[in-house]
Amino acid sequence: MATNTGPQVGVTLYSFTNPWLTRKFELDGLLREVAKRGMGPNIEIIGFQSFKEFPDVSDEFAEQFKMLMAETGLNPVSCAINSDRFLRPGQQPIDDASLVEYHKRQLRSAKKMGFKLVRYQFALPVELLPQIAPYAEELDIRMGVEVHAPMWSGHPAVQAYGEMYDKLDTPYLGWIPDFGGTASRIPESMLNAARAVGAKESLLDKLKEVWIEPGMSHEKAGRLREWAIAEGHPPAHIQAASLAFFILANNDPKSWAALVDRTIHIHGKFYGMDADGREEAIDYGTILPLFRDGGFDGTLVSEWEGHAYLPDDGFDQVEAHQSMCRRIFAGG
Amino acid sequence: MLPVERVIGEEGLSVGPDGLRLAMRLPWYRSLPFSTVEVASLSIDGEAVDLSAANVEYEGESWPLADLGEQTNAFWFVRDSAFLHLPNRSATAGSEHSVALTVNVSPPYIPGMKRANPQTQVLRVA
Repeated sequence: MATNTGPQVGVTLYSFTNPWLTRKFELDGLLREVAKRGMGPNIEIIGFQSFKEFPDVSDEFAEQFKMLMAETGLNPVSCAINSDRFLRPGQQPIDDASLVEYHKRQLRSAKKMGFKLVRYQFALPVELLPQIAPYAEELDIRMGVEVHAPMWSGHPAVQAYGEMYDKLDTPYLGWIPDFGGTASRIPESMLNAARAVGAKESLLDKLKEVWIEPGMSHEKAGRLREWAIAEGHPPAHIQAASLAFFILANNDPKSWAALVDRTIHIHGKFYGMDADGREEAIDYGTILPLFRDGGFDGTLVSEWEGHAYLPDDGFDQVEAHQSMCRRIFAGG
Repeated sequence: MLPVERVIGEEGLSVGPDGLRLAMRLPWYRSLPFSTVEVASLSIDGEAVDLSAANVEYEGESWPLADLGEQTNAFWFVRDSAFLHLPNRSATAGSEHSVALTVNVSPPYIPGMKRANPQTQVLRVA
């Protein structure tokens, strides 16, 4: 039997957050639509978005889900889980034992439904990994931590995880790059959404200027806010403009090279495809060859996040993004 | 308004012998424990509603609004409406009212983040 060599392209249902929240599709209908459009077979699903029983999925639901996968021909590669440490806002995080158990519950559910790996988060303190990794090994399910903006390979949290990964030295732990941390510019579609709520060009010009300055995202957001308030821009305009700080950072796209070896899955984060079939903010042509040439043979799932500021259903966006990724992986 | 910003539910405002009910949607992309959700304010026809006796109803359960912060293991599925129940408050079926609701969410994996989500809509009482 032939084995896969090279990266696969799939989709995360997160791209279809808008039609999901408006109840346009039930879960089975959405999965059938994904299959019909040929966006799979490899897919990612966020447990707490799509499964009502999460974090503890019943055997009955898991069976139904597996039958649906068999019927549609889809392949459940990645289940996104969450590190919900702060269950009481403004108070102390939950205790370590509860947080470890919270991860185990989600790992069991993901495994039961047939997922091959989970996406987890840096909100899990790195020192708890030695308590969770052996459980993932026992269940035979891999765990990839999502390297999401403002993080990138050089972030201190990524480095601390990397040291723990070296220490634990297991193939069950790896990275899931998201690419939002290495955007080269703010998407024009995001700026247009801010314009649509009334943000003035002077505010957006200042945003572009502050966004590329060095420093932490929240500090830069504070800097823009201070300036904008002094200049008399209304809070709604400042909020629309500030979104860029929380989902995009402009670190070096080539810096992903440092994480390729332990990358087990990729979030192909994107905001909008331009008329030439390129992502408007993230330089895929620079980034994807690093993974292809570095031997990555997992799945890149197209993750359209324009729904943070646009009402689009996401389907056409994902189709265009998948075409681009396949073209680049093929050497085009 | 984007789907992820919506806080007034499709089922709208209804009246029964035990008071008024307002459908609420969770303004986030995933389910959250009720403990991370805060019903910050409600006004009807421009008048602030006293929420001290209000309850939140979901899937056959009901909690005093003041105790919502204790519900760390009750998850609000992101596709479902929960209902804000206002005992001792009434309205005429068929009448129309401007309803302004603000729901705050503090996603439990993002320390310090609190997002305020206001929405105003004219609803016909069912």
